[in-house]
Amino acid sequence: MIELDQRIAEQLTEITLSSSMQVRCGSSNSFLVTASLIEPLINEFQMGGVYISASRPAPELISTLTEIEVPTDGIQFVDCVSSALLGGTENPYTNISYIDSPIMLESILLRTLYHLRQMPTEQNFVILDSVNALAIYNEERMLAEYLHTFINTFRARDVLSGVVTVPDQTPPSVLANLDLYCTDLVDRGQVVIS
Amino acid sequence: MDEITRGGIPYGATVLVGGTCGSGKTTLTMEFLVHGAQMGEACAYFAATEPSVKLLENIRQYTFFDMDMVDKGLINVFDMDVVYSWLGLTKATFDRDDINSLVKAITDIVNTIGVTRLVIDSVTTLCYKIPNDQLIRDFLFTLGKTLATQGCTSFLVAEITSAGAKAHWSSFGVEEAILDGIMVMGDIDRMGHLLRYLQVVKMRGTDHSRAKYAIELTPIGVMMTPMLKWGVDSD
Repeated sequence: MIELDQRIAEQLTEITLSSSMQVRCGSSNSFLVTASLIEPLINEFQMGGVYISASRPAPELISTLTEIEVPTDGIQFVDCVSSALLGGTENPYTNISYIDSPIMLESILLRTLYHLRQMPTEQNFVILDSVNALAIYNEERMLAEYLHTFINTFRARDVLSGVVTVPDQTPPSVLANLDLYCTDLVDRGQVVIS
Repeated sequence: MDEITRGGIPYGATVLVGGTCGSGKTTLTMEFLVHGAQMGEACAYFAATEPSVKLLENIRQYTFFDMDMVDKGLINVFDMDVVYSWLGLTKATFDRDDINSLVKAITDIVNTIGVTRLVIDSVTTLCYKIPNDQLIRDFLFTLGKTLATQGCTSFLVAEITSAGAKAHWSSFGVEEAILDGIMVMGDIDRMGHLLRYLQVVKMRGTDHSRAKYAIELTPIGVMMTPMLKWGVDSD
């Protein structure tokens, strides 16, 4: 079983609900970082949330999180990948909704807001995984504008947001904007192999 | 909608809701009635494009809609074909007398039930039976004026084939000039994917937003967010 990064859990104790976190990870540790982020939010802080999966199909993510005993029942997944895969939406999970393409940025935001309104939990989070995946489909200006709207929308609603990014694969202007908009930084972009 | 119109649709206004197929016109207008019904208002929906049974069957999938509202008489759905039949309007085209009797029939229903919110879906289908622009203009003007006098806020749905820059906001080009408000619903084609949008073009008596808003039809109703400025090229 993989060992979660406890420093992320510690860092989460210092942030508020209206915080927006820029979550920097490397290309090889992105799952570890996101799992280390979700686990304390669910288990320690008793939060519910929406996980926007643009990097990989949500069923794959749920399956892997379940394997490491991170509960996913309190998370609604907005899957931007599976609709493009033949048969990708055929799975047993009921907590996944599908967006046709990561290019439908406004739909992602609206679907997230819809799920948040349905959440039974008082305190909620939104994880956007990831900026890099959205950057494949959306040009820089639009993506920067979207992140500006995205982050401020959830800050205004006291919903904790986490925006996952692999810095060395993120367009510089988008990264600069993230630095500007986000209130907190979880930096696991440098992977040290010992 | 209240935010976009800076306080809501003015009481007694007649608003044209022009939109392409599948843009959410029926859902939006039905939600408008549901909000009224939730406050105890009597509402009327005149279905001209599809039978009321089919309409109700489709709208039941939305959690904002409750069949109790229909059963309790708060939302009253009328088939236009039945209304035509009552009035003996069996001709393919209507003359001025036919139009006057149609306006009177709608007004009588509004008065009898005490309707404060009304939807005609669609006025385009109805206007196809009216042979010239002048008669269409007279019909809509008289209908709008009469409904406003009764204190009835009305949505007239218009079907348009394109909501782009070169399109009219209505089917006949005369509806928009005489009504109090115009809302346009359509699709933005973004790399082959259609994103629904809504834009308030005109709303007399309000300092409304004129921006495009992306919309999603969710079980709890129409949800909106400002359309990204770098992604608004429309069809």
